Amino acid sequence: MRNTADAEDLVQETYLRAFRFRNQFIRGSNLRAWLFKILSNTAISRFRHTSHERGNASLDEMVEAELYPQLTDGVSALTESAEDEALSGILDVDVRRALESLPEPFRLAVVLSDVAGFSYKEIADMLEVPQGTVMSRLFRGRRILRKWLADYARRVSPPTEGSPQ
Amino acid sequence: MNCDEALQLLEQFVDRELTSEEITEVQRHLGACPPCLRLFHFEENLRRLVRRACNESAPSALRERIVSQSIGAETRD
Repeated sequence: MRNTADAEDLVQETYLRAFRFRNQFIRGSNLRAWLFKILSNTAISRFRHTSHERGNASLDEMVEAELYPQLTDGVSALTESAEDEALSGILDVDVRRALESLPEPFRLAVVLSDVAGFSYKEIADMLEVPQGTVMSRLFRGRRILRKWLADYARRVSPPTEGSPQ
Repeated sequence: MNCDEALQLLEQFVDRELTSEEITEVQRHLGACPPCLRLFHFEENLRRLVRRACNESAPSALRERIVSQSIGAETRD
């Protein structure tokens, strides 16, 4: 969903459906998760013809070793405190660009977890995929972001060997 | 818990998806291992950056459309 008008229409329709089906909401359950679930279903039915579903199966094919994040991927460069400072100056627009470069299922998992704060289980219920699939998408999406951030930090503060302070 | 074990659980630790026993073990390792602690901070930073970059609220026009639509739906019900 990269078009503002489409996104706004989708949000509006989500609220309308939520209102219409409000009797189906289970009192005491997570309202935000319920709304996101409606939003996700609405998006799928509306954009089915342009969806990336075909690509998902291959994205989710993974060997066991890949389930676990290789946290050190690309992060080994981040050993100097100067690089931490480079990250603190990073612009939101650059982070958004990095997010947009992710395959859609990965981006969705990252946004639902990091931005919306949903648990793995909530995301799995919302997207109707196994929890292991959510974890795999999330970890692989973050791995790409991590590498991107490390590259960014290197660009912003290249190693300045022996430069006097 | 050694570094490999801690790193395997680190993302789930940051995502608050571990049991309290696992949390205690990871915390104990991080307290004793500066390199892993550093990776933990990096993970937290990564999530913070993503959250900050996407922290947009809905345009007021959209909010108004939704509110008036809900009122319309209610009166039709």
